[in-house]
Amino acid sequence: MTAPLAPVPESIFRRRLRKFRRIKRGYWSFLLIAGAYVCSFALPYVMNSTAFLVKYDGDYYVPALTFYPAATFGQEAFGETDYRALKEQFDAAGDDNWVLLPPYPYGPNESLLDLAGVPPHPPSREHLFGTDDRGRDVFVRLAYGFNISLTFALMVMLIGYGIGICVGAMLGYISGKLDLFGQRVIEVWSSLPFLYTIIIVSSIVVPVYIPGRIQVLQPSFWLLIIILSAFDWMGMTYYVRGEFYREKAKDYVGAAIVTGVSDPAIMFRHILPNALTPVVSFAPFTIVANISALVALDFLGFGLPAPTPSWGELIGQGMENLTKWWLVFFPLGVLFSTLLLVVLIGEAVREAFDPKEYSRLR
Amino acid sequence: MSSPDTILDVQDLNVRFPVFGGIIPRKTSEVHAVDGVSLTLGRGETIGLVGESGCGKTTVGRAIVNILRPMNYRVDVTGRVLYHRNGQVVDLASQGQASMRRYRADLQMVFQDPYSSLNPRMTVGAMIEEPLTIHTSQSKAERRDRVRWLLDKVGLSPSHASRFPHEFSGGQRQRVGIARALATNPKIVIADEPVSALDVSVQAQVVNLMQDIQQEFGLSYIFISHDLSVVRHVSDRIFVMYLGNIVEAGPADEIYRRPAHPYSQMLLAAVPRPGPDARRTRRVRLREEPEPSGVAHPVVDDLPSPLNKPSGCAFRTRCPIARPDCADSAPPLVERDGRQVACPYTT
Repeated sequence: MTAPLAPVPESIFRRRLRKFRRIKRGYWSFLLIAGAYVCSFALPYVMNSTAFLVKYDGDYYVPALTFYPAATFGQEAFGETDYRALKEQFDAAGDDNWVLLPPYPYGPNESLLDLAGVPPHPPSREHLFGTDDRGRDVFVRLAYGFNISLTFALMVMLIGYGIGICVGAMLGYISGKLDLFGQRVIEVWSSLPFLYTIIIVSSIVVPVYIPGRIQVLQPSFWLLIIILSAFDWMGMTYYVRGEFYREKAKDYVGAAIVTGVSDPAIMFRHILPNALTPVVSFAPFTIVANISALVALDFLGFGLPAPTPSWGELIGQGMENLTKWWLVFFPLGVLFSTLLLVVLIGEAVREAFDPKEYSRLR
Repeated sequence: MSSPDTILDVQDLNVRFPVFGGIIPRKTSEVHAVDGVSLTLGRGETIGLVGESGCGKTTVGRAIVNILRPMNYRVDVTGRVLYHRNGQVVDLASQGQASMRRYRADLQMVFQDPYSSLNPRMTVGAMIEEPLTIHTSQSKAERRDRVRWLLDKVGLSPSHASRFPHEFSGGQRQRVGIARALATNPKIVIADEPVSALDVSVQAQVVNLMQDIQQEFGLSYIFISHDLSVVRHVSDRIFVMYLGNIVEAGPADEIYRRPAHPYSQMLLAAVPRPGPDARRTRRVRLREEPEPSGVAHPVVDDLPSPLNKPSGCAFRTRCPIARPDCADSAPPLVERDGRQVACPYTT
């Protein structure tokens, strides 16, 4: 009677995950991107002009956590301490004082005005990718931009998909007049011109910039996320709605109704796990689209507020300074490789989650 | 018609599926899938609902458990499904989804396709446990025990609870479906072709399992099938359906020994007989030529479309003894030789 069974029960999701791991190209791309993204949250301690630890006159200071004005360490300046200058000064003095700087001691919004010549400076040993037209280190800005771009893309995707899945699920499950009406509303909404809306909104809302602090996430970052999400959710509703229409007619839904399961539980606990294939397969490509959208908006000047490290803004500089090859090559190269890796992930996910393999389940 | 032993009394059940067409979709016609079906089910009894594909037997089952409307919002159901519960009578057909939930525990269903009736994303244990979570106030440990006990009852190992449907064979899946239906100790189980998707050897196991369970728990079954040998094996009474109508109803053995309605005769003649010695004594041929009376009938070998049902007696297009006046009006079910037959001309 008992058919041979796998030693350990395995859900379809786990099986697909195993298959995804076997697709090496996609799996390594995923590890690379995910690893780089997780590491990028440590950037303020790896690439920054602020020192980790300072020993000054027998006391220890942790500038990475607390702000110290320049006068604290006897510098004759206002505002933040120049820790690189402080390190040189202490090293030259050769006494007990010392400064522990991050491995790459330049900040993302710091204009390196003391460099010889006029910015942009070409790549050098100190500044791997050179500096931009305001003397800011391109390598640092690209690294910070990676974190911002990916955070932005993930946020827009999460919010957009959340709305899209809920709306699509309701249209597909409840169907009838709600579906008919909802579909028309979505059609009208999706015909709104996205770019003009962004331009209008960003010309009304003035970005808030607090000087003296590294503002990675500013209010307008969230505003951009909300605007983009508001235009991003419609695509997913079509797929989820279709999946729900198909799944709803299957007997397991009838069995759940006979069991007396409530409608929300049927929708989200029974049907949704079976309707996630398009969601999962589209996710990496949505991330690509969202990164590109942010880059495009920044390039046009309607994106993140001015000092935020952004790829689009750097690409814009590259276009204005075509002869400064490092401003063209590095931002485009980083954008290209990131998008390529994410697309490779997407290809692997699509293949691993191909529902045809389980067509016996119909 | 209902005796004190009746547990379910279906009266004049009608199910219509509207058909939409045209450039601006609107109702152009309708499929009268179930056309005035009445049947009763006694306590501990098994009734068989037989008929060929598309005759509406599954729809009757689904209308009784009231899942047609939640699954297909356009369907139109009329009639009464009276459920006798502790001396009270409830019309299940008129219940909304929320109020229907109170009776769900008593009324369960086993589905035809063991592949699509189990959610591929849920473990078997979670599926059997779900009705317990909804209908009982048992603790998690009690529910786990009950799941293990049920799996054991249907001949599966309790360790199978953590497995997923795709790890089982068809017969095992159907056992899971039965365990799920039994979880809440139902009074009535509607078995919609529970074995037709299974191998013959497994069919026998599952049918025997269902009978053992019936003996143990005193269930009433409505057994829907196109497989007459299976239905005869399990049923006390049989209802033969044709194009949404019941054409013959009565005790199983009576109908099998002497089918009265021409359609029942035709169905039984189609049952394969075991062994070369068993003669096909009752072979009935579908009529292939017009009657000698010269009345031209179209020769239809397939079930006519329920969209465009023949007038009068729906079976007349395939009936070997059809007469011209069969087209006039649908013959009513009439008591005859201890059964009900919807044909005035049969012998």
